[in-house]
Amino acid sequence: MSFKRLDPEDFLVSVDSITATAWSTNSPTLTTFFTSSTTSTNDSYYKNVYQTASTLSSAAVQFAIAYGNSKGSGSANYNDLVPGVSPTRTVYGQYRNLVYGSETATFIFATVTASDFWAISVDRARYKEHLLKGTFNLQIKSGSTTINLTDNSGMVSTDTYLDCGRVYQIISGSNGVANTSINANGYSLSSGSYGLFLPDIATIILNPLALSQSIALEPSRTSDSEGNNITRLFAAISGAASFQVNSEETVTSDYVFVRARNSEFNYSENPSFISGSTGDVIFSNFINSPQTYMTTVGFYNDSSELLAVAKLSKPLVKDFTKEALIRVKLDF
Amino acid sequence: MGYLNNTAVTVDAILTAKGRELLARGDGSFRITQFALSDDEIDYTLYNPNQPSGSAFYGEAIENMPLLEAFPDETQIMKYKLVTLPRGTARMPVLDIGYSSITIKQGASLAITPQTLNYLSQTALFESSGYTFTISDVRLFNSFTGVGINTPDVQALNQSTTIGTNVSKTVVGTTLNLSATTVNTLFGSNTALTATLQVIGRDSGARLQIPVTVTKNN
Repeated sequence: MSFKRLDPEDFLVSVDSITATAWSTNSPTLTTFFTSSTTSTNDSYYKNVYQTASTLSSAAVQFAIAYGNSKGSGSANYNDLVPGVSPTRTVYGQYRNLVYGSETATFIFATVTASDFWAISVDRARYKEHLLKGTFNLQIKSGSTTINLTDNSGMVSTDTYLDCGRVYQIISGSNGVANTSINANGYSLSSGSYGLFLPDIATIILNPLALSQSIALEPSRTSDSEGNNITRLFAAISGAASFQVNSEETVTSDYVFVRARNSEFNYSENPSFISGSTGDVIFSNFINSPQTYMTTVGFYNDSSELLAVAKLSKPLVKDFTKEALIRVKLDF
Repeated sequence: MGYLNNTAVTVDAILTAKGRELLARGDGSFRITQFALSDDEIDYTLYNPNQPSGSAFYGEAIENMPLLEAFPDETQIMKYKLVTLPRGTARMPVLDIGYSSITIKQGASLAITPQTLNYLSQTALFESSGYTFTISDVRLFNSFTGVGINTPDVQALNQSTTIGTNVSKTVVGTTLNLSATTVNTLFGSNTALTATLQVIGRDSGARLQIPVTVTKNN
């Protein structure tokens, strides 16, 4: 017999969480930031940020920056006859819908309500499935002042949820733990938290009120006027040159355990195992003490059709004194 | 194709072309229920029972060899299966189909009934579970059918159809009936088409592969 049936307990489905660096550089921290010099009709809404000059073939979008304002301030109106309706108003409504699922909600950073925000959306290819909580570390520099921001996942015992999934407050500190020099919980002095870390939609919402109070980074809130607020945050991030966050994904794998008992698979149909056309085994000591070297595992259906194969990395010796247990991962 | 890293024992499972076809078919035929082991790439003449360093070193030339990655062509892998036979087996089962190669004219028919030598202490026998016949390019035959085994799985396999490309086809039976293609356009400017026929004893694991040639009539 050359086929052996698999038992139900030989199959295993394993679900594992895989974490990795998010950035194309494969480094935990992104230290170089570039935007495209080519103008786009989307520039009023968002700007993509690359890890290298956007003209290079290796350039890949790492994240995008947007600015939203509930009154439409910070950008020119679509139509002079309709004041307050501009790209920043559109962005505000877009993220409000995404985060709160409500057209009447307002962005609340800890206890402080804000009428505008900066949003950082990590590129889909970078974050895989989620951002990994506790790995978010972003430095922002304005003038000569730099602040280290992180999420407060290391300080809360229960996760909080919004319509977009888990939400953590962005605080002053690092690796999920607060810097308590200003406030015990890492918040700004009186403007609430520094933002919201939303790992399930790979979005970071920054609170301009808190950034203004801490490092004097403030968006332009002039109505019907291009405020270049996206560029302001980009310059602040680029100036500090340190943005760290990891991705997280759940990978489901099927495993099959292949078991060869001591009395099984000790002879081979390999032509070099046989001497001549009569079928005699090649060495006389193979009659009572045969040795085979398995190199390949083949998986078949009931009709004996070969569905999948797995190769060992080196031959595995098998004889009547040995049993083999091989774990095969089915990655298809 | 490339060499596998042999510094750690790892396994790299991939779908075969047949596996992809059955997976795409979505009719439940892609269901792993059994396995086999093979020793493809192993040359047992490298085994040296006269090694002066002792029996622990008889297989040293084999044990450390790096192996190639798996081939997705199901006719080019799992060629030489490891088989379970009683201890003391001096002769391995060998298939005999009466041909060392097959040449058949366009539209002609042929029946092949293999037998197994040196199996279950008999000189020659017909295996009760039958034989697996695999042709590497099913387009060469108008019919390629196995008869003689009537279990539900075998009937389902023998009744399945494969169309379109030069994929393999597998049937099971005690006898293989085949009829060469009558389609002239398959030949193009060639006067003959070739493929390989693989026969495997379902009980013994014995294997035989021979070339098959279909010649054009005009």
